Amino acid sequence: MNDFPELENELRALRPARPSPVLFERIEESMLEAGKTSVASSARWSWRRFTETPYRFGIGLAAATAAVVLLLARISTDQTRNEDKEIAQVAPASETRPVLPAFSGGSGVDGSMSSNKFVPAGATQVVYNTRNEGLQFAAGSRQPLRRLRYQTQQTWQWRNPSTGASLRVSYPSEEVVLIPVSGQ
Amino acid sequence: MDNIASHENWKSCFSEIGPGLLLFARQWTRSAADAEDIVQEAFVKFWRRNHRINNRALLYATVRSIALDFIRRDKRRARREATVFADADSTVEPQFEWEDEAKSALAAAVSCLPHDQREVLVLKIWNELTFSEIAGALGISQNTAASRYRYALANLKKSLQPQ
Repeated sequence: MNDFPELENELRALRPARPSPVLFERIEESMLEAGKTSVASSARWSWRRFTETPYRFGIGLAAATAAVVLLLARISTDQTRNEDKEIAQVAPASETRPVLPAFSGGSGVDGSMSSNKFVPAGATQVVYNTRNEGLQFAAGSRQPLRRLRYQTQQTWQWRNPSTGASLRVSYPSEEVVLIPVSGQ
Repeated sequence: MDNIASHENWKSCFSEIGPGLLLFARQWTRSAADAEDIVQEAFVKFWRRNHRINNRALLYATVRSIALDFIRRDKRRARREATVFADADSTVEPQFEWEDEAKSALAAAVSCLPHDQREVLVLKIWNELTFSEIAGALGISQNTAASRYRYALANLKKSLQPQ
């Protein structure tokens, strides 16, 4: 293997040019930026997770219901188009479990049934605008509440593991959060 | 230097492997500045994903992949630069620090090697990767990596022999 030991030693004696000091600074900045982004993002999500109000919960529930209704509507449309094909369930139960392989036994359902199963693949909520609508007092309360309005874009994704087909539902939504303001 | 996830040790790690990484990135670029951009992007990406630093094949594969993306992204500019540099090789920035004429000749001979051989040589000599790691980084077999290395050395020896 080693037919050229001298040449290899000569080559090793050549030193590659060193990176400029500016590169170190640039990498450091990128590292810090990356750190800030991840901290800010996690802080925002933890804050949002712990400021749930019944009002906001209702909106979230409505949005989730709308997404499921849209999905079901899509699937029933497909079912009408292909009457000879069976559409598998897209029920909440399947969302929390991996898709089981389709049965090909005595029921007469063939392997192609599994190709119609969609499993949840992701859900994102992007807040693209936050508006502070000032303080307000709830009826009968002397404690002021700050009213914040969030405009978001929610996206839900489902994927069919056997065919690779994916379904994405994306819609804008608005959420209003009331945060109690404590007096100084 | 087991895990590169810690933000404390990236500088020492980069001081050690930076020159080799930069030399590797220079295989696709005509300027040190472009190579530094590639190395920066690859290193930060690698670091943020908390890969282990001893997974060197992955680090170099990341550099290579970003370099190839860079070429595709900037195709027009690369083509223009290639044309310019083909006519004026003397303007290429040095990839090595050399002190004498012999080393200068050796560096020039390395630059003239076919790309696939030079790539393997750079990983083997200045980055100290094993053939197995080189194979992983370049997506080739170990035998191919070893034979490209031998061809590179043979070609260098031939080009350095007095006429």
